Amino acid sequence: MNEPAVTGTEPLAPEGFARRIRLQEYALVGIVIALIIAGAITKPDAFLTSDNLFTILTQASAVGVLAIGMTFVIASGGIDLSVGSAVAAAGIAGGVLADGESGTLFILGALGFGVLVGVLNGAFITLGRMPPFIATLAMLAIARGLALRMSGKTPISVALLDAVRWFGNGKVLGIPAPVIVFLAITGLGWVLLNRTTYGRYVVAVGGNKEAARIAGIRVQRTIFSVYVLIGLCAGISAILLSGRLASASPVAGNLYELDAIAAVVIGGTSLAGGKATITGTFLGVLTFALIFNLLNLLNLPTEFQQIVRGVIVLVAVIAQRREN
Amino acid sequence: MNQVASEVLPLLRVVGLTKRYPGVTALDTVDFEVRPGEVHALLGQNGAGKSTLIKCISGFITPSDGEIYFDDDPVPPGDTMASLSHGIATIYQELDLVEELTVEANVWLGHESRNGPMLDRSTMKARTIELLERLNHPLIDPGARVETLAPAAQQIVSIARALSRNVRLLIMDEPSAVLDDKEIDVLFGVVRRLTEAGVGVIYISHRLEEVARIADRVTVFKDGKTVLKGAPANTDPDELVRAMVGRRLDRMFPERAEATDRVLLQVKDLTRRGAIHNVSFELRAGEILGIAGLVGSGRSELIRAIYGLDPVDSGEVIVAGSKVVPGRPDIAMSNGMGFAPEDRKSQGLLMDWTSARNVTIADLRSFVRHLLLNLRLERKKAKTHLESIGAQEGAVDKQVRLLSGGNQQKVVLARWLLRSCEILLLDEPTRGVDIGARAEIYKVIGDLAAEGLGIIMVSSELPELLGFCDRILVLRDGRLVRESPAGEITEEEILNLSIRAQATVSEDS
Repeated sequence: MNEPAVTGTEPLAPEGFARRIRLQEYALVGIVIALIIAGAITKPDAFLTSDNLFTILTQASAVGVLAIGMTFVIASGGIDLSVGSAVAAAGIAGGVLADGESGTLFILGALGFGVLVGVLNGAFITLGRMPPFIATLAMLAIARGLALRMSGKTPISVALLDAVRWFGNGKVLGIPAPVIVFLAITGLGWVLLNRTTYGRYVVAVGGNKEAARIAGIRVQRTIFSVYVLIGLCAGISAILLSGRLASASPVAGNLYELDAIAAVVIGGTSLAGGKATITGTFLGVLTFALIFNLLNLLNLPTEFQQIVRGVIVLVAVIAQRREN
Repeated sequence: MNQVASEVLPLLRVVGLTKRYPGVTALDTVDFEVRPGEVHALLGQNGAGKSTLIKCISGFITPSDGEIYFDDDPVPPGDTMASLSHGIATIYQELDLVEELTVEANVWLGHESRNGPMLDRSTMKARTIELLERLNHPLIDPGARVETLAPAAQQIVSIARALSRNVRLLIMDEPSAVLDDKEIDVLFGVVRRLTEAGVGVIYISHRLEEVARIADRVTVFKDGKTVLKGAPANTDPDELVRAMVGRRLDRMFPERAEATDRVLLQVKDLTRRGAIHNVSFELRAGEILGIAGLVGSGRSELIRAIYGLDPVDSGEVIVAGSKVVPGRPDIAMSNGMGFAPEDRKSQGLLMDWTSARNVTIADLRSFVRHLLLNLRLERKKAKTHLESIGAQEGAVDKQVRLLSGGNQQKVVLARWLLRSCEILLLDEPTRGVDIGARAEIYKVIGDLAAEGLGIIMVSSELPELLGFCDRILVLRDGRLVRESPAGEITEEEILNLSIRAQATVSEDS
């Protein structure tokens, strides 16, 4: 989707910071390729099948959608710790509203509740002048509690809601629906970040609030909006997850916020704000999904998996430091 | 005190001190001395060399040439620890206390008393109380957090910290800037007690009446040189002011056309408590209006309020027939205003972004085609505008942090050129800009005025204001003390209005 370069006269030089981000993206592309090669060598029959690749992307989709939203939040200089709980609460809200009968109501309920959580987060942060870390930490607890309360601590079945099940199991031209949704959200996120005034404003606010304000950007409004955006992503994520598991669980999405943040950070988006890349986030999500899949295929214990994920975060962030 | 002081050896002696930066000599073979028990005041306009001198003395910067002697011992250049161990302590204008820590912790920060590996709290507390009593401030609680104290009390804590290191020479850089009259009295009491104990004091201030009250001798700086050396503090204030003015600034101002009569902006009784009081004026199309005054006189606060950046308590700003809404710079901007802040790095620019993106950020909507940004058009427009004001070649794709101060300022100006605004507010537009780029920036601003823009320019450089502006407003303590055509006021008058108490001003305030 790059602009075609005008050859000879004025090549569109990649900008300084964009070039650095790209360097890191290349490094991540290297990691992803290395993981794929490792998988192809160790499990030649199971790993490189289209079924397995779709499985990887399907498993990544719920966290992946959150990570796209999280990219905007982190780019604006904020953080959202409540998304994991918001996924559970949105799923339960949808389940309660649908009452086992209407898939449409489930979808509207989940999206609506996700947005509501985002609106509350945004209000506490902008109108209440609370640090995002604190406001969303509080919301992490509240949303989880609401999910448990609304569900009576038991999962709500959505097995009979065909529309919801489609988002978990449906296929279009052989491609699983959750994969399509994840890729579509990634594409939309990319366009929003790189090709709209909104994306530019978000990064400007994260980079320097005062400079953004002087340039006429509504800083508080922009900050508010990114939490609503990630709330919507939490709603979408809840639909994908419930569809796949055939039920909405009050304990779903546990620690998803950390998975999403980790994917964004290893992708090269700066935790200090002002620098963001959707491509990097996508590659970050892919990296974690590949590791998860590979270690599963190799029957390695899950604790080993956690250690590997932690090490990758450390290595990626150290690489980021070095580039700066 | 003078007679006693003059018979003893100087505490500090500076001989032939020179500090050269590329393109400018900040200090030019300066001789200077401080005797034990005297207060030696430094006077001079911004950039005259006072700060460079005290930074050399305290070891923060290394002089290019010359020697510093303390007790007739040479002090190694550029060594802050050596200066500290000689008993030279500096209190800067911006207090360097850790606000979250207690008074006691701040006083002993970096040289805490210890009992083995543990902090010796009781000794430190006792000695803190002792120091505060010595400063006649036993009421300050050593356990109070510094942020809970009034500015004057914080100033006392800074002094206590200096004394805890057994200070022999105390350097105070505009200590009174944050204090009210009563607090200044308290501070002067402390200074007198110190000098009675034989401590030498270097006192930098812009306020002549203070200098007359506290100092024994005065040295005046201009263009890096001492123009009046160690004169008695009761020297006629007019003579001091005359010594400070008349700096050279090469003829670099472009020819200017006459301003029109069309009023672009009206400021009516604008007040923001503690910053600006009842300021009223008008700005006309084609006019360059200069705002003079000391740092802290309300200059920056005034233009920030005009742009809607800060809340105001009363009064209004009317532009293009509508009122500016305080706290809404976006509305000011859509009413045709542009603003270039004092600190480009922290307020004006996104340092990680390219020049192109910094230029277009305030007018991004004009590049939207079918809901999306046309990046090619964006870069092309940015490039055109950067080139039109002579920014460095290739600047368009460079991160602004890699550009010189002059080019950064051009990026800010290009932003407002692109928006084709009607009113431009510039806060210290030539600060940190080298001489060559200055002339170019003056030309750009002059051209804009010729096109009919109204420009308000805050500056600490009096020759710049007088040589370049049509009209000058002088602010002191947040009040407009004089409004005058630039041709009918002198540097000396502006300086007098800025730094001297009521005496000369009664008609306007």
